[in-house]
Amino acid sequence: MRPLPHFEYHRPVKCISALKLLSSLNNAKILAGGTDLLPQMRDDVFNPNHIIDINNITELCNIEKKNKLISLGSTVNLLQISNSSIVKENLPALHEATSQMGSPQIRNRATIGGNICNASPAADSAPPLYVYKSEAVIKSIDETKTIPINQAFKGPKINCLEPDELITEIRVPIPPPHSASCFIRIGRRKAFTLSIVSAAVYLEMEDTKCIDARIAFGSVSMTPIRVHAVEDLLKEKEISDELIDEVCELTIDSVNPITDIRGTAEYRKDMCGILVKRAIKKTLELV
Amino acid sequence: MNISFMLNGEKVELEINPNQNLVDMLRLELRITSVKKGCELGECGACTILLDGLPITSCLVLAPQVEGKHVTTIEGLEKNPLMIDLRESFIENGAVQCGFCTPGMLISAYSLLRDNPHPSEEEVKKGIVGNICRCTGFTKIIQAILDTAERMADE
Repeated sequence: MRPLPHFEYHRPVKCISALKLLSSLNNAKILAGGTDLLPQMRDDVFNPNHIIDINNITELCNIEKKNKLISLGSTVNLLQISNSSIVKENLPALHEATSQMGSPQIRNRATIGGNICNASPAADSAPPLYVYKSEAVIKSIDETKTIPINQAFKGPKINCLEPDELITEIRVPIPPPHSASCFIRIGRRKAFTLSIVSAAVYLEMEDTKCIDARIAFGSVSMTPIRVHAVEDLLKEKEISDELIDEVCELTIDSVNPITDIRGTAEYRKDMCGILVKRAIKKTLELV
Repeated sequence: MNISFMLNGEKVELEINPNQNLVDMLRLELRITSVKKGCELGECGACTILLDGLPITSCLVLAPQVEGKHVTTIEGLEKNPLMIDLRESFIENGAVQCGFCTPGMLISAYSLLRDNPHPSEEEVKKGIVGNICRCTGFTKIIQAILDTAERMADE
């Protein structure tokens, strides 16, 4: 295995210190869990002169319920998310996704911020974050801004961050009662595998009538995506088996995945239809 | 740079290069060769150790990141009753062939049973999903873990 490149290691304990380092250092990379960064450094994808380890910044590693939203610090790891009762009770799709990502060893290190910044279209935390209309808080030394989570993903492995920016927090509005959500995915095996297709569904219901529907897929486009045309089909409608079949057909027509080593485009299209059907049925049971 | 951390209950102070990962530091600087290198990508689990009590792949941790932390390898668990039972169980069940996956597998098994003393077979499989074994086909490893769970439950 090729060795890691030489770099200077920095260990800020405050967010402001990390931001100062990011703004002053040339060719610096943020180190959180390291589960994506280190392999990519060995693969020569990244060759940083500086590594800024943000795992010791306490401001970044909390899960909090504040008023109407849940705040996830960007260095919160997947184990903490999957163990969190706040997340399990309020954001079940995120709980389901994070509980099955990677392996126990990976979950003990990998962070929610890192999963987003790595910006793989197959990021399993993304479909749930998308359907919950989450936001990412991005800080630099001069500015703090909040963006809808989908804007963090610009393309395959391309995030929206400028070199001096850091994601500090993910904010997720707490879903209202009479709503439910779930996450479902398929891979080449049952665990510790990249998703071939992943899906999250969120439904707000009034009895059998759907008031709001949000559907997101991973691994079927250059970024995780919502499928608004399919969502519109469900809104303000009574959800019947016939409607679900229509949703399945429209989903297949609405996605344009690629063929890669994990599956063909045709298979992925079909699986989007199957997963959306299963996810809607599962979500309806949870409402 | 200098770092200071706890290794198997004892304080270690060391001068390291930041671009060395934890598995190399343990093997090359500290001569703890029970920690194996398989893939250096966090996918095979051969390098699994406990960091502050949690199983992690030491190939994905940089040496300076253990500053102030507790690192535990199987040597540090030699007197631990759960680990002792697991090791016996692995031997009895034929869960060790070449032995390369074994230290990491034991750490994962130990962590699983410590947190979930009565796992189902599915839970055992999920608990060791981060550890690849090329020899045993996993069945004997799973059985060894279940046997230990049963024995420890009786106590």
